[in-house]
Amino acid sequence: MTAIRLAHAAIAAAALFALALPLFGSSYHVYLGELILINIVAAVGLNLLTGNCGQISLCHASLMAIGAYTTALLTTRAGVTYAAALPAGIVVTTLLGASLSYPARRLSGLYLALVTLGFLEVVSIAIEEFSDLTGGVRGLKLVKPELAGWPFGTNTLYYFVLVVTALAVCGGWNIQRSRYGRAFNAVRQSAIVAQALAIPPGGIKLLAFSIAAAFAGLAGGLFTAVVGFIDPTEFDISASLRQITFIVVGGLGSVVGSVVGAVVLTLLPEALRGAKEYGDVVYSAILLGALVLAPKGIVGSLASLHSRRRAAKDGLP
Amino acid sequence: MALMTWRIALQLALSGLSVGSIYAIVALSLAIPFKASRVLNFAQGELVTLGAYIGLVLTSYGLPYPAMVPATLVIAAAFGILIERLFIRPIVAAPEFTLVIATFAIGLIIRALIRIHWQDNVFFLPAPYAGPAVPIGPLRANPSYLVIIGSTAVLVALLVLFFQRTRLGKAMRAVAFNETAARLMGISVNRVFGSAWALSAAIGAVAGLLLAPVVGINPELGHLILKALVAAVIGGFGSLGGAVFGGLLLGLLETYAGAMFGAALKEIIPFGILIAFLLVRPQGLWGATQVRV
Repeated sequence: MTAIRLAHAAIAAAALFALALPLFGSSYHVYLGELILINIVAAVGLNLLTGNCGQISLCHASLMAIGAYTTALLTTRAGVTYAAALPAGIVVTTLLGASLSYPARRLSGLYLALVTLGFLEVVSIAIEEFSDLTGGVRGLKLVKPELAGWPFGTNTLYYFVLVVTALAVCGGWNIQRSRYGRAFNAVRQSAIVAQALAIPPGGIKLLAFSIAAAFAGLAGGLFTAVVGFIDPTEFDISASLRQITFIVVGGLGSVVGSVVGAVVLTLLPEALRGAKEYGDVVYSAILLGALVLAPKGIVGSLASLHSRRRAAKDGLP
Repeated sequence: MALMTWRIALQLALSGLSVGSIYAIVALSLAIPFKASRVLNFAQGELVTLGAYIGLVLTSYGLPYPAMVPATLVIAAAFGILIERLFIRPIVAAPEFTLVIATFAIGLIIRALIRIHWQDNVFFLPAPYAGPAVPIGPLRANPSYLVIIGSTAVLVALLVLFFQRTRLGKAMRAVAFNETAARLMGISVNRVFGSAWALSAAIGAVAGLLLAPVVGINPELGHLILKALVAAVIGGFGSLGGAVFGGLLLGLLETYAGAMFGAALKEIIPFGILIAFLLVRPQGLWGATQVRV
């Protein structure tokens, strides 16, 4: 019981810390906080797809790119306000994600990895080829976002991202505990059994992929507002792998795990500032170490530690 | 295509075949460990890069080309064994997700380390055969292209002999066919896995050494793994003949498409083929049809 109370206390403390950050942090800390929140949104979506539904996606970063570029192009080229462009980005990303997933819904495992890898490559080629529109490899600079004529200051932007992220995490939490979330888990564990229980695996995979795409689109849209500049290298295969690292290290199939993973692994490079060029090496080494040594991730390992302790106390084997 | 004379068509076929040969070699190096242990090595592209850099280092130590090539292959094979032993064997029975992501991570580590040490510079490996184009009948051929095509043919022949005639080759086929039965027949499955990775890493290094004089050595060399994956998908995973055919076909398709419709389409075509194949015929042209449940 104490462990549960401890977990609640930790969540409350984290929430308080997130709320109070702009009061004592520098503008760089606030910016870092925003990046963490964005990574949390992306990780929660990916974890529903990969951790719960068991589908490999190597193109989560390109879905995020689609959200980011849609939002950015609508605000800079079409003059749409950010408040309308952000949802539009989510819708476009969800539709594109669904249209990739619809034909691929019968695939899984290795073949799905290959399809999503192909999609990643096509998206990055498209961004580079249509450079008139997207700025190509030189990137795209954005106008300062404003919500209904009211420009964001540093702190208001932070609180906006915080509220949106909180909503997204709650949404992910609820999806995971809904009957659809349980269906995701069923499809991961056995598509055959799921089918026997009247759960259509194809439809469920399509749903999981679309939901993950929506989260990625949201993360991309927030990213444009926070960073103010996007270019294709932000959304390459190592970005996809970073997001996978978040959920593997945090804990597959757990919303808390996505949050923990995103927080820890966004802060980690900051702690290793002196060794910036080693960023990819460190990330990949952590990913590899987690896969080989602790496949349950931080949250999963803590949970099993807790249940083992309790079992020992209750005298169970 | 009235503009395309038969001479241009043949010239394109030559360069298409040489590009395709590289794809075929890398696809082969993907298919061998996959056949043995059902692990698709997404780090294979980086093993190609690594092979080229090993050759570069050995050359800088003054090793002549004929000695450098076998030394490179041996070192690359040792790397393959090391990767299998350290990272793949502990998780070989893990879900596919773990294996895909783990091999990806290995590749990323190798590429990042190479980039840290050599930066983004492009190095050229002097090859004794490199030189001006030589005329063959009405065509002109870059000798590097001819060497690539020739080496691929020799490599494929050697592999056929290896799998048909040698004990180790037969053991690999046995493990690929039925691991449990192979184990019961006294074949050391672990040794077969290790050998498959060694062989595949060495073949990857061959591709790296062949590419080095043509495109130059740089950390992004391994990007061609995507094309090799497409080739492997066309041929059907685990079919070695299919991998070679898929590679050559992709090289030709890409070269002709690039000549006719421009560079952008050339880039997109492989992925169009990949997605189309996976959606319509995921087992490839030669792969056995699987029961889908």
